[in-house]
Amino acid sequence: MNRRKFALLAGAAVVGAYGGTKLQKVQKPAPLSDGPAGQSAVAIIRARSYSDDLAARMLEGIRQCGLDVRGQRVLLKPNLVEFDPATVINTNAAVIAAAVEVFHRLGAAEVQIGEGPGHRRDTLDMADDARYRSTIPKFERIFTDLNRDDVSAVKGFGGEPEFYFPNTVLGADLIVSLAKMKTHHWAGATLSMKNFFGVVPGSVYGWPKNKLHYYGIPESIVALNRLFGKKSFAIVDGVVGMEGNGPIQGTPKPAGVLVMGSDLVAVDATCCRIMGIDPEKVNYLRMAADLGHVRPGRIEQRGETIASVRTNFALIDDFKDLRLA
Amino acid sequence: MAGVYLESRLQFLRASQNADGGWAYFPGKGSWLEPTSYAMLALHGTGSDASLDRAWKLVRSWQLPDGSFQPGGEVKEGTWVTAQALTLASIRGVNDASVRASVDWLLGVVGAEHNMWTRTGSFLHLIKARLDVSHEGWPWLAGNATWIEPTAHTLTALKKIAGGYRAAEVDRRIRDGEDLILSRRCTDGGWNYGTPNMLYVDLPSFPETTGMALLGIEGRKEREFAGALDLAERFRAETKSSSGKAWLQLALRCHGRNVAAPVESAWESSGPSSDVMLAALEALGHPEGNYKLFRAEGRA
Repeated sequence: MNRRKFALLAGAAVVGAYGGTKLQKVQKPAPLSDGPAGQSAVAIIRARSYSDDLAARMLEGIRQCGLDVRGQRVLLKPNLVEFDPATVINTNAAVIAAAVEVFHRLGAAEVQIGEGPGHRRDTLDMADDARYRSTIPKFERIFTDLNRDDVSAVKGFGGEPEFYFPNTVLGADLIVSLAKMKTHHWAGATLSMKNFFGVVPGSVYGWPKNKLHYYGIPESIVALNRLFGKKSFAIVDGVVGMEGNGPIQGTPKPAGVLVMGSDLVAVDATCCRIMGIDPEKVNYLRMAADLGHVRPGRIEQRGETIASVRTNFALIDDFKDLRLA
Repeated sequence: MAGVYLESRLQFLRASQNADGGWAYFPGKGSWLEPTSYAMLALHGTGSDASLDRAWKLVRSWQLPDGSFQPGGEVKEGTWVTAQALTLASIRGVNDASVRASVDWLLGVVGAEHNMWTRTGSFLHLIKARLDVSHEGWPWLAGNATWIEPTAHTLTALKKIAGGYRAAEVDRRIRDGEDLILSRRCTDGGWNYGTPNMLYVDLPSFPETTGMALLGIEGRKEREFAGALDLAERFRAETKSSSGKAWLQLALRCHGRNVAAPVESAWESSGPSSDVMLAALEALGHPEGNYKLFRAEGRA
């Protein structure tokens, strides 16, 4: 192990990102699986600004992916990990408001919003700062703080006999990961799959949800998606993403897109390519390649082409080798 | 006679107690130890003895054989809420074998970063964060890293039993836990969840965690955290966060700051989204509230 790798991992261990036992797993990346049979559709829809008609754009992308939500209980899971007015940490309120409208229009029986922020206790205050309360009609009536929801046990998650998840999440027919397109200083990128960290309840696991860090960030991302991925759909807010030292301290990076699909692995792989990151080098995507498609030949791109919207996101030194050729 | 601010919050708490004796985070949901503990502290000594006895009975039913407490009825794992149960036991004057088992459990838990790997890495400046890993502190769950909030809650609990069972070890862990909090102060003078610096970038503090940290170091000399109380007063004046204000109000009062009483406004119940813990914290931090229960009075 070189000094750089040790430094990264030791630092991560201190803040709870990796345990020392995870070192070997980072040194030897998992082989890339061919993934499930068939292809996965991923739609790339241009949206240059949050004042665009986002509902129309979203509807276009969802239809291109063939999603049917009629009669379903839909839970929208935005990314509201912290708030800083100087940057763009969170899924934009306009994207969430558009999603509420769109899923109602598509015939969902119920559209709820749920999030369990990783660092802050006062979820509603952050929702206020992020303009969720002022932008999304009847926000407080349809919002659940997943950190303090009632929970039920799920067996076998993360090697634990029982792991606890919010009843709002377990009871949803469809979870829509409304993620933000960001770089991440431990995982390389945080997109629709990493966004599921917010469904782990703080009331059990704390603020931050350090148990996941000790289980391993890539391992946790994969385990969460193994559990919830089959009843999920992803819409990634890349209208303005975050580059550099994400997911909190990075800088805004306009990419002008919404990326969506039912195969969250394929959506994240596509987002990576748009960001100029090679998804085949991103550890969590390699590990999740049996759940969905990472290889470009297995992803049916709809809407825009990757080449037409690609814009390289700045990467911290530790992830420079992730750059897509 | 308490004014409408305090009385309306206490009344809300009385009205939102679940049939099993506990409190939920939000009315109509299941009982959890955390909101139950704050509701019990807020109602302590207010003539609600029968309801508090029922609540205590429920809390005790959540103790596990290893002495730890599960955070609610559904979760069969001991967590940081063990500290809150210990605080309740102390305030209720309970000091039996099961309480001592909780003390044993808390004394047996240390932050997982307090190990040879990370201490060596820190010594060699290989860790990409300015972080003192020499202290033990307390994690949310055994086997995880140390964070400000569980450390602060455990300090409040252990200070209640200082001088009694395993006095020397309790005193050592209190001192070390306080030192951990002091070492994890952000450069802006307050505290966040416990990571003041990451990848050599200083991170900001938050109002609520600053309040909790100050409660954890209550009893230490102010010169050791110079400026923190002034920052807390500024946070309290500026933050929109009701929870942040409540924690700061409680902490400032415990540190003897003459915090102005809140405006005499009744608790506005918003039905199922009413925040039980917030009502309890606001009641506790009122000038006539039970904020003194968080003080380490009597400790040598």
